[in-house]
Amino acid sequence: MVMTICGIIFSPLIALLSGILMLGVTRKLMARIHWRYGPPLLQPVIDIIKLFYQKAPSHGSLFDFGVILSLTGSIVVLLFLPVGQLAPLSPAGGLLVITYLMLVAPLGVAISGGEAANPNVSIGISRKLILSFGYEVSLVLGILAIMTRYDTISIIKVVEIQQETGWALFSWPLFVSGIAYLLILPAILGIRPFDVVSAPQEISSGPHVEYGGKYLGLTTISHALSEFIAIALFVNLFLGGWGLWGAISNLGNSGLVVFLGVLVFLAKIFLIYILSLTINAVLPRLRVDQAIKFLWKWPAIIAFVGLILAWTV
Amino acid sequence: MLATILIIAFGGAIVSYILGKFSSRLRNYLSALVWITLIGLTSYSFFTTPTTNVFYPGFIGFNLTLRINLLSWLFAITISVIAALSVIFSFNYIRGRERRDFYYLMILLVNASMLGIVLSGDLLLFYIFWEIMSWSAFLLISYSKGKALAAGLKYIVMSIIGSGTMLIGITSLYGNYGTLALEELPTNLATAPPLYLLFIFILFFVAFGIKNAILPFHTWLPPAHSEAPAPFSAILSGMLIKMGTYGIILLFYVISGIKLFLGLSSGVWSFHYILCGLAAVTIVVPTFIAVLQDDAKKLLAWSTIGQAGYIMLGISFGTNLSMAGGIFHFFNHAIFKSLLFLAIGAVEYRTSTRDLNSLGGLIKKMPVAFLATLVGIGGLIGIPLTNGFFSKWLIYKSLILDKQPFLAFAALIGTWGAILYSYKLLHNIFLGQLPEKYRDIKKAPISMRLPLAILSIAVIIFGVLPGLPLNPINKITTSLGFQPLNLGIWGTVSDTGTVNTLNIFLAFVLVSGILWYVFRSGAESPKVSQENSYAAGAPIPEGKYNYTVDFYNPLERMLKPYLKDLIDSFYSWIAEAVKQISTRVRKIYTGYVGTYVMYIIALLAALILVQLGWKIW
Repeated sequence: MVMTICGIIFSPLIALLSGILMLGVTRKLMARIHWRYGPPLLQPVIDIIKLFYQKAPSHGSLFDFGVILSLTGSIVVLLFLPVGQLAPLSPAGGLLVITYLMLVAPLGVAISGGEAANPNVSIGISRKLILSFGYEVSLVLGILAIMTRYDTISIIKVVEIQQETGWALFSWPLFVSGIAYLLILPAILGIRPFDVVSAPQEISSGPHVEYGGKYLGLTTISHALSEFIAIALFVNLFLGGWGLWGAISNLGNSGLVVFLGVLVFLAKIFLIYILSLTINAVLPRLRVDQAIKFLWKWPAIIAFVGLILAWTV
Repeated sequence: MLATILIIAFGGAIVSYILGKFSSRLRNYLSALVWITLIGLTSYSFFTTPTTNVFYPGFIGFNLTLRINLLSWLFAITISVIAALSVIFSFNYIRGRERRDFYYLMILLVNASMLGIVLSGDLLLFYIFWEIMSWSAFLLISYSKGKALAAGLKYIVMSIIGSGTMLIGITSLYGNYGTLALEELPTNLATAPPLYLLFIFILFFVAFGIKNAILPFHTWLPPAHSEAPAPFSAILSGMLIKMGTYGIILLFYVISGIKLFLGLSSGVWSFHYILCGLAAVTIVVPTFIAVLQDDAKKLLAWSTIGQAGYIMLGISFGTNLSMAGGIFHFFNHAIFKSLLFLAIGAVEYRTSTRDLNSLGGLIKKMPVAFLATLVGIGGLIGIPLTNGFFSKWLIYKSLILDKQPFLAFAALIGTWGAILYSYKLLHNIFLGQLPEKYRDIKKAPISMRLPLAILSIAVIIFGVLPGLPLNPINKITTSLGFQPLNLGIWGTVSDTGTVNTLNIFLAFVLVSGILWYVFRSGAESPKVSQENSYAAGAPIPEGKYNYTVDFYNPLERMLKPYLKDLIDSFYSWIAEAVKQISTRVRKIYTGYVGTYVMYIIALLAALILVQLGWKIW
């Protein structure tokens, strides 16, 4: 019970802080790769606080509601998705519930932005839906491979089994699905070469174009959380969650272990994120049809092979 | 009791037709009253014990029996509710059209015959009601004439083929076992040879598959759904195709029984896995086609085929989870799809178009229709806390735990396709820019908003508390021979995966409450109009630039070459060939007596020749 309450409070907080820190890391790292100095690491925090004091226009109640719904969706996902050993509501739903709950955040932005008659928003959302249709094929195949192999639909069980049998990314035959997931990860994160949705130079950041002030603040947080969630799902499914080759689970079962577990989990997330940022820094943007052609070709084929192997081997 | 229900249903249809000759207002009220009474009567019959009684002894040598159990009750109550709401919706929708009395007669008749189907206790009565339903549906589909007539013709031709195969099946059953009662057939069929069973299954499956629009029998559905009057589209998609579902449950789990159905296999080919494969194709392909549609009702029609695939997949997979999921999804689909059709109907009533390329921005003009569509697509996608979520979850879970990941993949991808077309539906009608000509659109009248509101609330309630309908469904599946599920009012409990919708609901309420507080404490935000938007220095021409045409252009360009309805073309080719042959055959009727005399002489000559050669007679 105490663990559940701790989870409900800390799990979203940890995700929130690391998500915003990830935004800061992005700007700093991009700048260093581009030979610039870059803003301070905590610039996004300063920005978000500032945004809450700025006046910004609203297009109506759905405009407000959608923004709140979007952030609510992200936070609710975090109550179901294990962050280290913190997984307060996971017993109330499994992997399928998580994949469904992950829809709420984009849907919130879509209906909120739709209330403004701005074509850029429509174009952005159309691109977002096409792109997600592109990567969901491989994502669903990958998740199914994991669920079939481990014979469970509970994400906690998936993490537990990996503590015993080794991380899925380094085990035969699930590493095939893992590779497919890594290939679509930039598309899930919406970074280059798949940043067609925001595409600031073409459609002035697409679905978010109408937001200013606190709306922009909330959607920035929502964006940070969805980046965190996308990688956290990968870490839980393929990188053994909070496990470190038995080093932590051997320590027994105490508050310290939970704390260390969360630290290891976050370390894995930042590692994967920084790797994806290096791709983001050097590649140009694809057109949306090129993106979907790529996504339905290599990652989908690899993920399909992965599922066949997980099913038969 | 059962006879009373049917007498009220059919009598109501006829009385309201006669009443319509005197006062249209009275006719409207009476037809709504009939179905509200029937909702009450069917709800009451939930508390009575399951019964079978002979309703008309000795009809051409058969006893016509009526029966009710939980399965038929679930269908009956859904029929009554959807019928009542559609009739109320019709009040304004059909006002100003021609032949209104006829419309009401038919819409009441079609619902009455559906009640008859689910309440009949033997196959003969079932068949009689089935035919009444098919024909009255045909008259309603072609109500608007023009394109609707062609759509209706397509429907009735396929329907007749289905009725024909079903009639062959019924006669064969009667010839072999001498009974048509649903209660006596299982004991007789238990000893039937597998090949005969397969023969019966295929004959009936063609009939029910055509109604349920399983690929490759789906081609009648898109034109029929889009051309029918909107309230009837709701019934058509919500309930009428579900009569196919009911028939399939009856065929596989009542008449033959679970053991026979799942045991019917030869080598690696198992009959129910073939059906599952068919259902998986029925989910995926129509979903992709739906993304390409520009007609709101046609889009929903293709989506109906896809969702019927889920129901079929759940039922034919044959585990306790998938069966409960299949029946539950039928129930949910009836609610959210009727809701969507009625919402589109309301938009069509006000704007007199359903073309997704020319609408847009109606959110402030028709808020109730907008919210109804939003809730409806939530259910269609299966967002948690709407009703479609739990039924789909049951099906997925069953497929994954039974090691059928490829069927599960088809089901999941169908859902992601559903996101695309449902957002297109929502966006192209209600979001984005408002075209100039729709500036003065009024909101829908109360008789339209009321059904929309009731159905939307139902979607949410059954989403938050799925246990309400799942408890009776659990009893149904148990009575069909499945293991019972461990259910609470908020979902299921098991060691392999649990869902607790109440927790999800509380999490949403709590988190959004906190966020609302945070949001309110930020700087205030002045309200501006829809058009007052930011476009990075390039002003957007008001009312002229609407991003709705080719909403998914890059995707459509990729998919279009691959997504032709080959089956439809094949059927059209057959129809065309039959027409050609018939034209040729018709040429022998020249109209000259001389030619006919010549035919007779030629026939006689041929007969004499045969007799001379082989001496047959």
